[in-house]
Amino acid sequence: MRLSPTVITPIHKTRTVGLEPATAFELFTTRMGSWWPLTTHSIAQEKAIGVRFEGRVGGRVVELTEDGTEHPWADVLAWDPPHRFLLAWHPSIDPDAASMLDVRFISIESGTRVEIEHHGWEEFGSAEGASLRDQYDPGWEAVLSRLEAYPEWRAS
Amino acid sequence: MDVGPQLIALADPTRRTIYDLIRQESSSVRELTDRLPISQPAVSQHLRILSSARLVAATPQGTRRIYSPHPEGVALLRTWIDTLWDDVLDSFEQQASFEQQAVKEPKQ
Repeated sequence: MRLSPTVITPIHKTRTVGLEPATAFELFTTRMGSWWPLTTHSIAQEKAIGVRFEGRVGGRVVELTEDGTEHPWADVLAWDPPHRFLLAWHPSIDPDAASMLDVRFISIESGTRVEIEHHGWEEFGSAEGASLRDQYDPGWEAVLSRLEAYPEWRAS
Repeated sequence: MDVGPQLIALADPTRRTIYDLIRQESSSVRELTDRLPISQPAVSQHLRILSSARLVAATPQGTRRIYSPHPEGVALLRTWIDTLWDDVLDSFEQQASFEQQAVKEPKQ
């Protein structure tokens, strides 16, 4: 087996908002379509009209478009409102090649601290990923298959 | 931010192999050619593409050039994803702030 040093380390982001955890959690998940920058950060871009976030383990996060086509973005792996949810994140790619999006909501005096960790760029760890482990080498193959999730997404 | 050069450079399996070899050990074109089933000019051509994507950098050592991993190319890729999440969270923060105001100043 080839030993490859870590290529892309987990990405961490933290934001503080002045809402109670329950409200922040509900806004982030159930009402994701009301704030997500769909025109730039979606598969259908200008034709994207919303997001359906199915808040339960086994639920899906789906991009909705004006012609009725639905683009799956993620599967809900953990659902613990108003504290945490975990997504297998796979917009435009094979769900087996998902990376992990772990989002936590921590109650603080001024509201809620939202912590995001986007990790799992290099492993095909799950049992479901077994077929991909045969298809791809670890390391770059895994990273690239995940970067392909953002062919059109425009970072500012 | 344009990460096209990095994605294109790494989209080719031979270049990924070359890049991984260099990440394991800094090497000359000759050393790389010895470990690959392709010609030296072909290896040089792949190295040019990896260099222009800032994934590797060459250092002269006597008459040879030694190729080492360059952190900038990978840093660009990571920053790109980082920025995508910044954009998304900026939007979330803005909406949260809007709703916080609405709670503070309820409509009469």
